Amino acid sequence: MTLLLALQYQFEWSVLWTAPYGRWLLQGIVTTLEISALAWLLAAALGGLFGAFRTMSGLGPRGLAAAYVEFFRNVPLLVWMFFWYFGVPQVLPATAQDWLNRHGGEFVAAVVALGVYHGARLAEVVRAGIQSVPPTQLEAALSTGLTVGQAYRRVLVPIAVRLIVPPLTNESLNLLKNSSLALTISVTEVTFMTRQIEAYTAKGFEAITAGTLIYLGLCLVVAAVMSRVERRLAIPGLVVRTEGAEH
Amino acid sequence: MRTHARKGSAAVLALSILLAGVVPAWAETTLEKVARTGSFVIGTRTGSPPFGFIDKNNQWGGFSVDLAKLVHAGIEKKLGKPVKFELKESTPTTRIPLLTSGAVDLIAGTMTITRARRESLDFSVVFFVTGAQFLVKKGSPIRGLRDIGGKRVGAQQGSTNEKVIREKHPQAQLVVFPDQPAAFTALAQGKIDAYTNDGVQLAGLKAKAPNPAEWDVVGEFYTYEPYGMAMRKNDSDFRNLVDFALMEAIEGGEYQKLYDKWFGPRGEVPYPLSESALIFLQMQVIPR
Repeated sequence: MTLLLALQYQFEWSVLWTAPYGRWLLQGIVTTLEISALAWLLAAALGGLFGAFRTMSGLGPRGLAAAYVEFFRNVPLLVWMFFWYFGVPQVLPATAQDWLNRHGGEFVAAVVALGVYHGARLAEVVRAGIQSVPPTQLEAALSTGLTVGQAYRRVLVPIAVRLIVPPLTNESLNLLKNSSLALTISVTEVTFMTRQIEAYTAKGFEAITAGTLIYLGLCLVVAAVMSRVERRLAIPGLVVRTEGAEH
Repeated sequence: MRTHARKGSAAVLALSILLAGVVPAWAETTLEKVARTGSFVIGTRTGSPPFGFIDKNNQWGGFSVDLAKLVHAGIEKKLGKPVKFELKESTPTTRIPLLTSGAVDLIAGTMTITRARRESLDFSVVFFVTGAQFLVKKGSPIRGLRDIGGKRVGAQQGSTNEKVIREKHPQAQLVVFPDQPAAFTALAQGKIDAYTNDGVQLAGLKAKAPNPAEWDVVGEFYTYEPYGMAMRKNDSDFRNLVDFALMEAIEGGEYQKLYDKWFGPRGEVPYPLSESALIFLQMQVIPR
């Protein structure tokens, strides 16, 4: 605070909506939402699959899932960004590389980096959810004649999904905010755009404030939606629930 | 509880004062700050040979850093006591906030003086003159500005040439990187067809590349890039000190010695000083 007060800084909030900066911010928001949504779908698919694998008795799937989780969650996301952008395309055939370069390879790399990284984290959330379902549920399902696969699909996972909504919300918000790292591989998302505005106008505080409020707003919307989902999906009597506990 | 509430409202008040831009009109000058803290901090580059870069022996220095050392000597003389000389990394996106927030006292890197930047910063006299060109792989069809239509052209975020390509040459597909090494890797991998930056920086990249013969710096200068040192606005005593240090270096031959050290035939990046550039530099030296 004293630092800021010591500057004779002239605030000029209008840089946030005058052309072309306002349009840049909007484009940035759209890109952030696109990356986050696609990466979330990838993360949910990987997390669901490997999370379920980790709870299975077979050593094969369990080992594979453990390897995936430990490998991808224990390396910084920034490194994964460079890995998927500069590393992986090098081993692809030249035509595939060329195609990627013409069709926004940086966007694809960012989606994969975010999706695979958060997939590993989500797998642990899913595992925790499945393991918190009492074993009697599995036994009961099997005794009705369901196979293990069916028991997972029809009983364990549906219950687990309801239990993991709060940590899933957490992970989703992290994913959204982590998408800002995509700027390092030249994806023009919100943070990139705020830096761009700053570079053009030298109005850094305004640009960073705008970025902060945008992430805050987006995250609040996601949190509100997830909270609704949680209430909608709740199975009456499944868990102890007090009024308003979902907040 | 009550004290908490009071603290909270004080914070809200302070924040709203801050946001409203009602800022007390006091601030210490750069010389006062350096005298108080005992150190003179410059912002420079780590990946822009030979202006500011980390060399093979992990030493951080360069032409701009050496010039800033002359300013440092001027400060010590003025204050009559030794002060520390510190380096901080600054990039095109961070250098303005680093300076305005007081984290550094002088930007001595590869910053082009522009009228827009002079709205929020003050600049020294020009210490280097260059212009934007393109770096391409040898044999590339791109030979200059007229060949970039539909091509993927890399640039550094916040640089003046990025702005020129974006605004005046939208026929090119602009890909913006936060730093030069990332852009160069992308160029080497064929992710971009050309990388644009100031000619002397491209010469530096080429000279530092594993195999310099693979690369070509092509095209006429399509921008004018006069480099200057940047400082906080409205601090004319400090600006005089910086300017006089540079003028004395040009006048006394120290500048040419440093130029030769970094850009001479055996320097880090061989780049002869053109006669017109030399005359321009000398004419900036005003009489004592």
